[in-house]
Amino acid sequence: MRKKLCVLTLLGSLGFAVGCGSSGSTPAGIPGGGGTSANVLSIAVDGGPTANQTNGSIYPNGAFATVTICAPGSSSNCAKVDHLLVDTGSVGVRVLQSAVSSLNLPAVNANNGSAAWECVSFVDGSVLWGPVQAATVTLAGETASNVPIQVVASSSSNLPSSCSGVNENTVSLLGANGILGVGLEPVDCPACDPSQTSTPIVPAYYSCSSTPCTSQFINDSNQVTNPVVAFPADNNGVIVELPAVSSSAATVTGSLIFGIGTESNNQLASSANFFNLCADLFNTIFEGETFGVNPSSCTGPGSFIDSGSNALFFPNVNNAITVCPTKTPAGDLSAFYCPASPLNLSAVNEDPTNGTQSPAVNFTVGNAQNLFTGSSTSSNAAFGRLAGPVPAASGFDWGLPFFYGKNVYTGIDLPNVQTPFWAY
Amino acid sequence: MKALFERSIPFTSWLMVGIGWLGLSCPALAALGGDLTSVDADRAHLKATSLEVKPSEAYQVHPIQAPGGTIISEYVSSTGRVFAVSWHGPFIPEMQQILGSYFQQYSAALGAKRPYGRRPLNIQEPGLVVQTGGHMGAYFGRAYLPEMLPSSLKADEIK
Repeated sequence: MRKKLCVLTLLGSLGFAVGCGSSGSTPAGIPGGGGTSANVLSIAVDGGPTANQTNGSIYPNGAFATVTICAPGSSSNCAKVDHLLVDTGSVGVRVLQSAVSSLNLPAVNANNGSAAWECVSFVDGSVLWGPVQAATVTLAGETASNVPIQVVASSSSNLPSSCSGVNENTVSLLGANGILGVGLEPVDCPACDPSQTSTPIVPAYYSCSSTPCTSQFINDSNQVTNPVVAFPADNNGVIVELPAVSSSAATVTGSLIFGIGTESNNQLASSANFFNLCADLFNTIFEGETFGVNPSSCTGPGSFIDSGSNALFFPNVNNAITVCPTKTPAGDLSAFYCPASPLNLSAVNEDPTNGTQSPAVNFTVGNAQNLFTGSSTSSNAAFGRLAGPVPAASGFDWGLPFFYGKNVYTGIDLPNVQTPFWAY
Repeated sequence: MKALFERSIPFTSWLMVGIGWLGLSCPALAALGGDLTSVDADRAHLKATSLEVKPSEAYQVHPIQAPGGTIISEYVSSTGRVFAVSWHGPFIPEMQQILGSYFQQYSAALGAKRPYGRRPLNIQEPGLVVQTGGHMGAYFGRAYLPEMLPSSLKADEIK
């Protein structure tokens, strides 16, 4: 089947570009005119794919993007997939099987020579399970050719016991059609490469050629890959740009810009606060306590910036902030704070390698239950004051509310090119 | 107008978790709530190596290093019971192994309706607390039995 593919790319403040590839050798989605606009992908905090469904639900503080996924080498055997969660806290493209099943993407093998499957665990107790397959992924005008992605299997019939958790393999469970992981690393499991570790094998990649599936080594080159590093250019990082949201807003739109310092539209601002990292973490000083990495061993826990976290999450120092109830009309909200009135707080971020501190980051903690159930805010998708607790002595998680009103730079760990960094 | 941002976990999804749980191949020795032998069972199941035991009068901390580098610390009371487990590192440990007989209670709490979103867990169940955080490549978390904490140990010290 040949399907005409047309990618319409919204270019933020720069205007429009339309890239259409109907046939031939021109990869789909690359604007013929070139120019810097090819590196700008429109993103939207719009409540996600189920927000407008009957009895559907809103995904609060999820930034979503549309990607085009093609069979390797084809510009016609493609699927345009909307609502992938833009996640600077993970690495690699993960897409529900239902969205790409017609493409018959080729398998990518584990080191034992059989098709690789992957189990990815997330902090919320969920897992994504499915085969690793090769695809060409186009984001705005940038194309990652023939990269391993994870296809989240519709069936969990071969789920290994070591992959325990809520298997979010449908739109209604995941609240998205997939995840666009554009974080700090080129691949998602360095410890799965036999050159980086010793036996026993980490339970992340599996072979399912026999039952039950067994964990396997897999070389970096076959692991689920950050699509940005596979671009021919603009491949050293991303910038997330979103407008300010004071309390809440129905929806907001912004940009995911590829490359840092590679084009006129992605230069690191001279006023930006810049942080080298230690184990992909930095330090946050809050209420007199430093939530940071161990300075001598460069090990966690520590603090981090993550567009895929849908609130600010930080230790409840002295249990000073009221946590929301488990039973509310909006469900279990125990992951969020519910202060009686908005709290104005601030914290300082610190480079763990040289101790350089940034000016204080001011933020406000609102009452999540009021925001989720209030008549004027319950249908909104963007919340600037959403926050919740993490264990004491752990780390500060600067989730999506941190991104509102900022340009946040994520610099990818590229050996011999650059060390990973954050800036804003 | 959208009323809520809820989702619920279909029974079939939990059925799979349950099947996985029943299919656990190693002995059903619980970690959390189990006795000292469960520390060894965890280490064997996770193919982990023992690190130095940190002594204290009221409890001992048994840290182990799992494949991939995650450090898992099991807190054992003076009566030999595991009352808390914490972890930090590149991988989330197998929760059913860590939580032992408390895994079902944890699973039931996870199944509650809640808003969409990727975020840390803060499960405060009767007799069980599970809290997590971090992101891909850098996770942390802890699970403990609040009623079994020694009086000399504050919950915030489990890390």
